[in-house]
Amino acid sequence: MAIVLAVFAILIFYDVQKFIREKERARVFLLYGFFMATSLTVSLLLAAGRRPSSPAQWIEAVLKMMGVLK
Amino acid sequence: MEKIRISSFQLFLLISGFLFGSTVILAPAQGAKNDAWLAILLGGAGGTLLMVVYASIALLNPSKTLVDILREKLGKVVGNIFAILYIWYFIHLASLVFRNFGEFICTVTYPETPIVVVIGFFAVVLAYTVNGGIEVMGRLSELLVPVIPLLFFIIGLSILTVHDFTAFLPILENGIKPVLSAAFDYISFPFGETVAFLMIFLHLNKKEKLKKVVFTSSAVSILLAVMVFFRDIFALGADLMSRATFNPHLTSLLIPGLNVESLVDINLLIGGGVKISVCVYAAANALSQIAGIDDYRKLTRAIVTFCVVLSVWVYENILEMFSWAEKVWPYYSIPFQIIIPLLLLLLSIRKKGKTSKAKAGSRKG
Repeated sequence: MAIVLAVFAILIFYDVQKFIREKERARVFLLYGFFMATSLTVSLLLAAGRRPSSPAQWIEAVLKMMGVLK
Repeated sequence: MEKIRISSFQLFLLISGFLFGSTVILAPAQGAKNDAWLAILLGGAGGTLLMVVYASIALLNPSKTLVDILREKLGKVVGNIFAILYIWYFIHLASLVFRNFGEFICTVTYPETPIVVVIGFFAVVLAYTVNGGIEVMGRLSELLVPVIPLLFFIIGLSILTVHDFTAFLPILENGIKPVLSAAFDYISFPFGETVAFLMIFLHLNKKEKLKKVVFTSSAVSILLAVMVFFRDIFALGADLMSRATFNPHLTSLLIPGLNVESLVDINLLIGGGVKISVCVYAAANALSQIAGIDDYRKLTRAIVTFCVVLSVWVYENILEMFSWAEKVWPYYSIPFQIIIPLLLLLLSIRKKGKTSKAKAGSRKG
């Protein structure tokens, strides 16, 4: 858990200070924040041993619901 | 958008590297067992046609990316929705290749190392490559992709003493159905995945050579896949080959008095690296276009980080990975690889027809 937090802290610190220095637009922060927040949340859940249902399972369920897969 | 150009040779190597990708390791069309060579040839022919469709779309819409084409043909709102779906598809594809790579390395080379560490280190190198731009990726493929067939020949020649040249017989023992099914799988993996190149084709310096490049690279890829299949089946036999997970690796273990295992790892490093780089480049570029961000590099690290996490999250274990890739992936890919590109091709042809008629009309007038 601590390693995950440390890795993300380094990555975010490195990128965000660059964004602030270059006065990036809000949408850059927004998109960057979305990807990093999702990644961090999933990583923490995986590190805690609580694996959320994955996109592969969602896709499979949708295809089954449509009758493409049995 | 970058004003950078790549040569037709660089594009040829990028496509070849992409097509070799994980196929050099995972033995495509394995479902057809000893008829896999037939499936590779049939699927390869279908895959080449599909790639020609992508090339035609690019030629009918010069200097336009997939996002531009989607927006122009389907309208801004629907086009953006489809573009977002494609971004997801490219990210998903990159994460699957990351996982293939991680599973392979952790199964055969570093069994004690956690998969996330292996994938993480690979991702750092690839993020750096993608940030270098398409020109750097093209030059890297010039340097590295020729190594793949070279390694194939080294392993193939070393294994000559261990062989059974009749192992692929009898032909069509189980009928044509498994061959057709494996051929369909082979179209979607890896040929259909080259739809990502619709974000790259516009950078080709000589557009008139695009179809030739696409055709040559797919022919080379099919030839190599068939040769890899025959090499493996001659060395392993049909039964062992249908049960083994990483056939080329197992074949390399049979070489008497020589350890060339790491050469197979290098194949995946190069092929997988090219494939992931292209997917991440396509995803980052498409996203920056939709969001109106001037430089895709601002999003590369975030996308690569997400790909790494997704690659670990997406499957619980290696068995689930193979089962999903075989049963779900080909159907899930149909809209992205076949339906939407065919729709775009039809709309592009219709528009070209209208423009030609209008030009002819104005000349008469």
